[in-house]
Amino acid sequence: MLQDKFFTVLLVGLVVIAFSMLFRVFKGPTVYDRLNGLGVIGTDAILILILWGFLQKRVEMYVDIALSYAILGFISLVVLAKFLQGKGDADL
Amino acid sequence: MREKLIQYSILSSILFLFWVIFSGKLDVKHLMIGAVTALVIAWICSSFLQVSSVTTPGIPVKEYAVFNLPYLKLFPYLGWLLWELVKANVDVALLVLNPQMPISPQIFTFKKTMSNPVAHMILANSITLTPGTITVDVQEDVYTIHALTESAALSLAPLAGEGDMPARVGRLFNE
Amino acid sequence: MRILAIFFLMGGFFFTTVAALGVIRFPDFYTRLHAAGKGDTLGIALSITGLALYHGFNLVSLKLMFIVFFIFLANPIGTHVLSGAAYKTGIRPWTGKGE
Repeated sequence: MLQDKFFTVLLVGLVVIAFSMLFRVFKGPTVYDRLNGLGVIGTDAILILILWGFLQKRVEMYVDIALSYAILGFISLVVLAKFLQGKGDADL
Repeated sequence: MREKLIQYSILSSILFLFWVIFSGKLDVKHLMIGAVTALVIAWICSSFLQVSSVTTPGIPVKEYAVFNLPYLKLFPYLGWLLWELVKANVDVALLVLNPQMPISPQIFTFKKTMSNPVAHMILANSITLTPGTITVDVQEDVYTIHALTESAALSLAPLAGEGDMPARVGRLFNE
Repeated sequence: MRILAIFFLMGGFFFTTVAALGVIRFPDFYTRLHAAGKGDTLGIALSITGLALYHGFNLVSLKLMFIVFFIFLANPIGTHVLSGAAYKTGIRPWTGKGE
């Protein structure tokens, strides 16, 4: 099927993007750079989940997972940023 | 009192709408459960959703309801914001794909006096989404902005007068 | 409708790629936030809108549009929280002139 192939190509591209973000997460140099990279991975993961749902023909289940993932990712990003704020050692 | 009642009904209808979207069942039993839950949660939460105005000396503190937005004027603003977002992305894409990367980052501050905190929140979010600027800090009504290029900084806060976006948000909230 | 959906998906994928490239290429933390905050918001929003168009109107596409709305609200707030925390910690921006 043509659209399945299209979705697969998009999915593989997104996974490559998410893995390339790991470069920023490991390299740093500050802890906020790492958090930023993790945030981008989290946002991309929403789209990866939905595309996977389209490929499996079970979107109505994966869309709920993606929604809760979006909310959890946002909350954890805010909590981590607030926790690290003003700690002094930025070169973690 | 009337303000509080409007706030309460808006909040409970938003919660009920979420219930309908997430449950996906449209029979009487589920709708009844949803309506009761929405009303109870709105009753518990409605006191948290009053925010007091940004303090400026000389003006008495007012209470604002979070959901009391100018909904009719919000939609044209959102359309304009979407278009600005597309332009911002094309700008950033051109900067990223340019091998020399002609950027001159800078931090500056500007002031926008508004008493409604929700208006401040909308302005800060819009600044982050538009060409070459992100909001770093908001203290009372002083914004600290990080700009990617000189022209982006000048378009948000020109040397004389007021930028386009703060003026639009000010008109949105009549302040 | 299919054509429009595929157009949206391609656009979204392009902007997501540009955002990731920007996060890798830009010289300091604040400029990286520009790429992440703008490119990712529009990229993901366009892609999910494209998927909703592709799926047609029903409960699933309504939920997809709710995800788009949530990302529009939450992504700038996340960017703002990160930059505020970094600024208060004392990270100063790169200006291109060296130290």
